[in-house]
Amino acid sequence: MTNEDLLIYFDEQLFLPDLLAKTKDDLFEEIVDQFVKVKYLKSREIVLEMLRQREKLGSTGVGKNVAIPHGRTTSASDIMIAFAKSKNGIEYDAIDGKPVNLIFMIIAPPQDENNMYLPLLGKMVEVLNKSKNRNKLMQAETFDEFMEILSKG
Amino acid sequence: MSLWKYFRKGKILEKKQLDLLVALQDLDMMIEEISEMKRLGFSADREDELLKAREDLAAKIKKPLLYSYEKLKKRYKRAIVPVKEDNTCLGCFIRLPTSMSSIGRTDEEVIYCEGCGRILYWLT
Ligand SMILES: [Zn+2]
Repeated sequence: MTNEDLLIYFDEQLFLPDLLAKTKDDLFEEIVDQFVKVKYLKSREIVLEMLRQREKLGSTGVGKNVAIPHGRTTSASDIMIAFAKSKNGIEYDAIDGKPVNLIFMIIAPPQDENNMYLPLLGKMVEVLNKSKNRNKLMQAETFDEFMEILSKG
Repeated sequence: MSLWKYFRKGKILEKKQLDLLVALQDLDMMIEEISEMKRLGFSADREDELLKAREDLAAKIKKPLLYSYEKLKKRYKRAIVPVKEDNTCLGCFIRLPTSMSSIGRTDEEVIYCEGCGRILYWLT
């Protein structure tokens, strides 16, 4: 999977460069509400429940101020990724204990045509492992800037 | 809401049952992909937590419904499939009759696809 391939999974309506949330729970709600608002998801409660269960398994705060909450849900028909940024950082119970500033929420349907969900997750981990990318993403204010960074990642 | 409405055909109960079943499938998909999550470098060590949550959730679902879910899961891997706005079953891709979708959209009954037999979940 190339960086260019990533771009189709993002949507300007799911670009939240200035999150209001101050806690992990509020963060999930704020992003899921946006998914529901733009009609990518049907059931807010079911998806929130799925994301909370996922955190029980182990934190999706992967360290270095990044979180990648993710999961498949019967309440979605396509894979979509929301990008959100918190300027002040949110306590997330991340594996390195650091607060989280960059959040990529990946939601996938029960079955996706080309089985892209797992490769997509892997690709996001790879992109976010590079400190250069994380620094640039922290600066991105517009969707265009954001897409530019991802495409070069 | 009047009590009378609440008891009418027990439909509100059905709606809740379908939501529980959808949440159960979401958990099952998560459990199924634990090893892939670990391989990708995610923290996913508390499998016991998920298995416990699954057990608690399954206990809230009526036995016949749970049984039909498990049977469908064995056959198709995914027992419940989303239905998109064009009324196609995402399991077998047949077009569902409009009469079926108007009932399905209300979420008041558990409806099975007439093409493949999977449980349908309307997204719109
Ligand atoms: Zn079908």
